[in-house]
Amino acid sequence: MADSTAPKPSSSVKLVLLGEAASSLVLRFVNNDFQENKEPTIGAAFLTQKCNLPTRTIKFEIWDTAGQERFASLAPMYYRNAQSALVVYDLTKPTSLIKAKHWVAELQRQASPGIVIALVGNKLDLTNETSSSNPLGEDGDGEAAEGEDADGDARKISTAEAKSYAEEEGLLFFETSAKLGTNVTEVFTAIANAIPETSLKGARGPGASQAAARTEDQSRVNLTGPRDAASKEGCAC
Amino acid sequence: MESLNETLWDVVISGTGLKHSLLALALSRSNKKILHVDQNEYYGDAEAAFSLQEVDEWVERVNAVSPSNFRNASLWKTTTSNESDKLSFSRAYTLTLSPQIIYTRSKLLSQLVSSKVYRQLEFQAVGNWWILGEHSLNRLPNGREDIFRDKSIDNRAKRGLMKFLKFVVDYENQNELWQPQADSGLAGFLSSHFQLPPNLQNVICALTLSLDAPESTKVSWSLPRIARHLTSIGVFGPGFGAVVPKWGGGAEISQVACRAGAVGGGIYVLGIGVKESNTSSEEAGNITHVHLSNEDVVKTRHLIQYPAARSTDAKAVSKVIAIVSSSLTTLFKNSVEGSPLAAVSVIVLPVSTVIVEEASQATPIYIMAHSNETGECPAGQCVLYATMLYSEHSKQLLDAALDVFLARVEDTPELLYKLYYEQEPEEENEAQTESLDPSLDLAFNDAILEDVESLWKTVIGDEAEQARFMRFEDREGMSADDDELDEGY
Ligand SMILES: Nc1nc2c(ncn2[C@@H]2O[C@H](COP(=O)(O)OP(=O)(O)OP(=O)(O)O)[C@@H](O)[C@H]2O)c(=O)[nH]1
Ligand SMILES: [Mg+2]
Repeated sequence: MADSTAPKPSSSVKLVLLGEAASSLVLRFVNNDFQENKEPTIGAAFLTQKCNLPTRTIKFEIWDTAGQERFASLAPMYYRNAQSALVVYDLTKPTSLIKAKHWVAELQRQASPGIVIALVGNKLDLTNETSSSNPLGEDGDGEAAEGEDADGDARKISTAEAKSYAEEEGLLFFETSAKLGTNVTEVFTAIANAIPETSLKGARGPGASQAAARTEDQSRVNLTGPRDAASKEGCAC
Repeated sequence: MESLNETLWDVVISGTGLKHSLLALALSRSNKKILHVDQNEYYGDAEAAFSLQEVDEWVERVNAVSPSNFRNASLWKTTTSNESDKLSFSRAYTLTLSPQIIYTRSKLLSQLVSSKVYRQLEFQAVGNWWILGEHSLNRLPNGREDIFRDKSIDNRAKRGLMKFLKFVVDYENQNELWQPQADSGLAGFLSSHFQLPPNLQNVICALTLSLDAPESTKVSWSLPRIARHLTSIGVFGPGFGAVVPKWGGGAEISQVACRAGAVGGGIYVLGIGVKESNTSSEEAGNITHVHLSNEDVVKTRHLIQYPAARSTDAKAVSKVIAIVSSSLTTLFKNSVEGSPLAAVSVIVLPVSTVIVEEASQATPIYIMAHSNETGECPAGQCVLYATMLYSEHSKQLLDAALDVFLARVEDTPELLYKLYYEQEPEEENEAQTESLDPSLDLAFNDAILEDVESLWKTVIGDEAEQARFMRFEDREGMSADDDELDEGY
């Protein structure tokens, strides 16, 4: 990508992650990495990754949560000010879409009204469909075969079923493979594009959001004083 | 649902109130297997925060049989058809059971910083303190210059006040002056030693946030609290000495601490309580079998829960949470150059400010006013948290206090909503008649942190020595670019 001299506007976007086989999808996006038999997510408060759009840069702050998600025990602070959500289901598990629908309902109840929600069916590599958008499809070496049916297809949730549900609820919809990387960046780019300019923090231009941001700063108290600002300048401690 | 009983837990924590959530935070890097449950469907327990709809449900539960340290909850809502005096939708509000202010010198803040969870919190200033006088609302003087300029104080009283302020920040080195009076009332001490008139006794006593009258507020209890108030001003910026976390005070800290527990590998289950437990000696050591309300029985090395017994005759408090139809801007205006905009302001009604038919006000009333900047209500409204010691007439007195206060502020705000309840102390405590239970303190009480640390030591055991309490490195961001914290454009 060519460097332009004037930096593009960049804004942070909070994205909450929910559902099954979800961390792997983010790990592919953030680190371009995949682990077979991944352990439950521990130790990451959130991950960050930039997404470059033609006119601006979106910096995703991705909140993942194994220990509160397992028993649906998320706190309001998790949903607060989230501009986007990624609800992932495992398309090889019959019950997985039902769980995803539960999360969508929970988001509609708890999150801000304007939140952008993407529904994603993951583990596309375990189906026998030849996806044209699969850049690594050619050299698939059969490793993906575990758990497959005799006909090589482990899919339990049809594209049509999930897609029509997504359309009803106004959700973005994708099928992905975290293992192969299929459609992963596409999901995040689509979310970034769907976030209205007005809801972006630090976005320039007229509008009430800027005035709101100003008073917010006026009442904020910094507990670590100017030292934090100094470390921003990259001083080695 | 996955099952919980296949694991041998290192610790099962029951309850997500502030204390137990801070324990979960303290244990979040210990690699212990932690199961944290709460019988409620929400985080925070006695320090929770609610939408209006959740308050409705809470009121019902409090008044049902279920035992808790809350009682006699009642709700009033406006029925106005006037568009500008209407309540907004339920989730536009976050009403907190935990509006305590946190003094800037509280160890809680340094522990939230050293444990790194402060990054998930937003703190706001408790800016102005007011005394509701007979005819007006007066801002408390903020420092020496203010006192000199104050025309309502005569010169003799000014000298006494200056002398007291100089003494109190150094009281630890002047034992001979106050030790003989340690158990006496603050009012008498201020009068005999500093010639302060009753109105200034009230002002000084207000700084302690004592729920007792100045006559029965002990000198030994007061001096450290007044000193704390005075020395806290300016620590994080000019013009304020205390802060409150945005989005519901203690409730927000409890949520952030529990999330830190979950990020560290802890498993969280809401809506499940502990029914009973029994401990037996087994091969693996002492194991407690915990019977959960969902009929699961889980095994753990440690079980941390609230004490079962509560003393009933101990001091309880009466509280009102009210929503009003004004942003009460003058309350929050900067009083000092360069200070942040106050989001919380403290209003004190000294003894005998309000009278109801049957009774006069024998103890002070405190109102913490929260602006919409706290995220607790929509713009154009404020949330008022009023507290006084429970008495036969405290409910009527609090009502009267709100009426008097609202009559003295600008643009005659309407009351839109009023939740009344009573709260009992959390723990059995012999010293109860002497001082206030930490859970009822209007300022965060650092004694809670001592409890957290001792619970932490019980769980950590021998490792406690080398491990450092609440001191953690930042979690790895795992991002491609950690170089900058670009906030915009
Ligand atoms: N074949 C295949 N396996 C995948 C894919 N994505 C995830 N997995 C596997 O599915 C399992 C669960 O994935 P995770 O990403 O850990 O799921 P999670 O929802 O984050 O799980 P928890 O954090 O434990 O709640 C792991 O063993 C992954 O290796 C995929 O695209 N293809
Ligand atoms: Mg995960």
